[in-house]
Amino acid sequence: MSRLSEKKLSRRRFLGLSSCALAAATVGSQVKVLKALARTGDVDELTAGPGQDVFTSCGMCVNKCGVIARVRNGVIHKLDPNPNFIKSRGMLCARGNAGVKVVYDPDRLKYPLIRVGKRGEGKWRRASWDEALDLVGKNLNELAEKYTRAGTMFASTEGTFSEHFFLQLAECYGSPNTVRHPSLCLASNIQGFGATFGTSPTPDVFNADYIIMSGANRSEALITPDSVDMLKGEGGRRKLVYLDPRFTKTAAKADEWFPIKPGTDMAFILAMTHVIVKEELYAKGFVEEMTVGFDNLAPHVEPYTPEWAADECEIPAADIRRIAREFAAAAPKAVYYQGRRSSFFANDTQMRRAMAILNAVVGNWDVKGGMVPNSSIKLTSHDYLAPWYDDVPGRLDKDSATYLSEKDGSWVTFRDRVLEGRPYPVKGMMIYKQNVVSSVPNRAKTLRMIEQMDFICTIDITMSDTAWYSDVVLPEATYLERQDPLESLGGILPVVAFRQPCIEAMFESKPNLWIMQQIAKRLGEEVYEQFDFTIEEHIHHQVKHNPKILEDLKTTGVYYEKTEPTYGKTLGKRLKTKSGKIEIYSDKYAENDLDPLPVYKAPEAVPTRRYRLLVGRSAYFTHGTTNNNPYLHDLMPENTLWLNVEEARKRGLRNGQMVRVKSAVGLETLKLEVTEKIRPDSVYMAHGFGVLSKGLTKLHGKGGCDAALIEEKVCPISGNVAMHETFVEILPA
Amino acid sequence: MKKNKRYAIVLDTRKCIDCKACTVACKAENDVPLGRNNYRNWVDDGELRGAYPTLGQSFTPSQCQHCGNPPCAHVCPTRATEVSEDGIVHVVAKKCIGCKYCQTACPYNARYYNEEIGAVDKCTFCAHRVYNGRVPACVETCPTKVRTFGDINDPHSEVSRLLARNPSRVLKKSQGSKPFLFYLI
Repeated sequence: MSRLSEKKLSRRRFLGLSSCALAAATVGSQVKVLKALARTGDVDELTAGPGQDVFTSCGMCVNKCGVIARVRNGVIHKLDPNPNFIKSRGMLCARGNAGVKVVYDPDRLKYPLIRVGKRGEGKWRRASWDEALDLVGKNLNELAEKYTRAGTMFASTEGTFSEHFFLQLAECYGSPNTVRHPSLCLASNIQGFGATFGTSPTPDVFNADYIIMSGANRSEALITPDSVDMLKGEGGRRKLVYLDPRFTKTAAKADEWFPIKPGTDMAFILAMTHVIVKEELYAKGFVEEMTVGFDNLAPHVEPYTPEWAADECEIPAADIRRIAREFAAAAPKAVYYQGRRSSFFANDTQMRRAMAILNAVVGNWDVKGGMVPNSSIKLTSHDYLAPWYDDVPGRLDKDSATYLSEKDGSWVTFRDRVLEGRPYPVKGMMIYKQNVVSSVPNRAKTLRMIEQMDFICTIDITMSDTAWYSDVVLPEATYLERQDPLESLGGILPVVAFRQPCIEAMFESKPNLWIMQQIAKRLGEEVYEQFDFTIEEHIHHQVKHNPKILEDLKTTGVYYEKTEPTYGKTLGKRLKTKSGKIEIYSDKYAENDLDPLPVYKAPEAVPTRRYRLLVGRSAYFTHGTTNNNPYLHDLMPENTLWLNVEEARKRGLRNGQMVRVKSAVGLETLKLEVTEKIRPDSVYMAHGFGVLSKGLTKLHGKGGCDAALIEEKVCPISGNVAMHETFVEILPA
Repeated sequence: MKKNKRYAIVLDTRKCIDCKACTVACKAENDVPLGRNNYRNWVDDGELRGAYPTLGQSFTPSQCQHCGNPPCAHVCPTRATEVSEDGIVHVVAKKCIGCKYCQTACPYNARYYNEEIGAVDKCTFCAHRVYNGRVPACVETCPTKVRTFGDINDPHSEVSRLLARNPSRVLKKSQGSKPFLFYLI
């Protein structure tokens, strides 16, 4: 049924390369502290001694901060921040520090497991790698035979430097059905900004004089370097205006906090734009030269007055007007900071468009303190040639969103189509470090999807809820035990990050590349040929155009080309939009029957006796893997449901009592936290608790699961989930 | 131990985002046993001020204050608590009989009983690092660099400069314990 392409290339490309192994860097020189970025004076020197200090990269969240592992007698004693790593400004957060316990966690997966009981029953037997891999190979081949190669989906997530190999396996196997995290996170953000600027820029937080953050809780949802730079202006020069239905730790640091009504950010933004346009506070020269469609903007925002917005978002009109004026006055060193959580409504992409347009009209594009297009450091990409199978249909979720990413898909619609079995059946699931059971809204539905699968294999380091429902579980070496490909991190100051093994992989865990190679072998010679290289060969190939990258990584743990941002490189040049300019009015959207300018749609009103469920992040917990960590678990052993004091009084509910939280799709029981820190119409719970897996011994039985409650609404433009469109009822437990 | 030095920490709590990086770094660096009641270093998230929607909150990181007049040392029956010439207050585990009198005497609640070593334990300013030319783990790891560590006897040190430039306060001044953690106002 399958036909291989004639072309062959990847293996040959590697053969000419030197195959010298990468030695673990031991002692690095301490580079001069970066001007104005890293803190002066206190940088740490690498100590010599009976142990080794190994440069590597943190793997606890998406930031990939530079780390120095202090290894003593083969044991990682401590992870310290790498002072050379300019992106993280020489810091390491609670999660990063807790990384030691990831390696030595008694709950980690130690050897391959094969399910013996029913799915989710938790009955496993230990298997040899050969047996487990044979089973995976057999199933993948059978699934291909039975349902075509599109009948197996491949789910993975960003943050692990090895994801590339997993996606390569998907492609070489022949499945178009890769599903990744963006549609659970920031697909709408990327789409909204991309449609306006042709790219998704980064706010220059370090140099901005005026920052408006909505739904970006940067004191808790840490993003480097923004979380660090955000506080730079404390004591006068910098102003931070923060909009969030919750009083978060960012609110505590902001100059002004407004408990905005959820889902109304666009009203606030359009009203600001109204003021700036009406009072002619916009950057006239810039708008004329660099944008298209401004003429359409003035009539479009005419009805969106601050008085109108005040009713929508419950922020006084006078404040909106004042903030708009202050923002314009501070421009171009003023940014409306785009978070990820801000909206999470079905109109999210248009809300992002409104944000982008507001930034554009004040002329903060590509200037110091404004919205700066990312720079990146080029690494030579690993080319491979996937075999071609001519009977494979297109993506299962094809055309489910206007701008669906070919590689990422849209999780929620994808799942719906799997359940419908249309247009074709998907009966196999390969999962690499994505905890889909806990992260995709409507957990019950995910479990139904899982139930109808013929075969599920999960590669992870712990028994996540998803692993718990799998047929075969393969243990990956943790980020501190493996050599990963180099990772180029784009941004205002781009860097290349380095991850090398600090200790040998424990138990029977194996690096991702090895696992992929072993599976590839079982899929046939044509597939394996694409994986016939070592990680060292791969890395040397990545830097073949510039070997200094690897030299620097070995001696300082990071590579960068500049320590001062370059501004203005896109000014006077064509942007990657259709018109080549910043598109205030989008012809592209108009052609697709989408609003060419963002049109406000009020969020659905909260029904009586119900509350809007909000999600968010903390500085110690973000992903599924962080919550079971002993150090972090110590800080917060369970999650609670936040409810406003006045509402609790009305309902006769007490602080600390157990409550049942009920949505249209689920019911969870957790402890109530009565607090002033939330709007009366909303409730909040932290992500990552209420797990089903008994393999997470610290977490099991603690708190409630947000994914079990959240309904699966979707943004039709980007395919992003709308996590904030769920209402819940609260009942005493 | 360094003669003619007096170590201190200056904290700019306005920068503290209560991310607990310091707390975890300290536990990992100093093998502080797991458990919420075991700590050398913590962040107090204070009382929430006001009522919805007018709220305020301050975060105060704290640890042993390495007092100039340490009440813990005065009450210790076995003289297990010692003060180095550079001002670092430490517990000699071998001398500690676990009577916890010092825990009661400490105005800052900076001591805990370490079951694993069978002695009272507390912050040492990461003396093992400091004497190797490094800074305490909490100072190094802090994302927003709330803490500055250094020798207050050296007028050119960053701590001295910060104190010269900014008004500061100490915690529980009325106790007369003369703490060497200075909080910028």
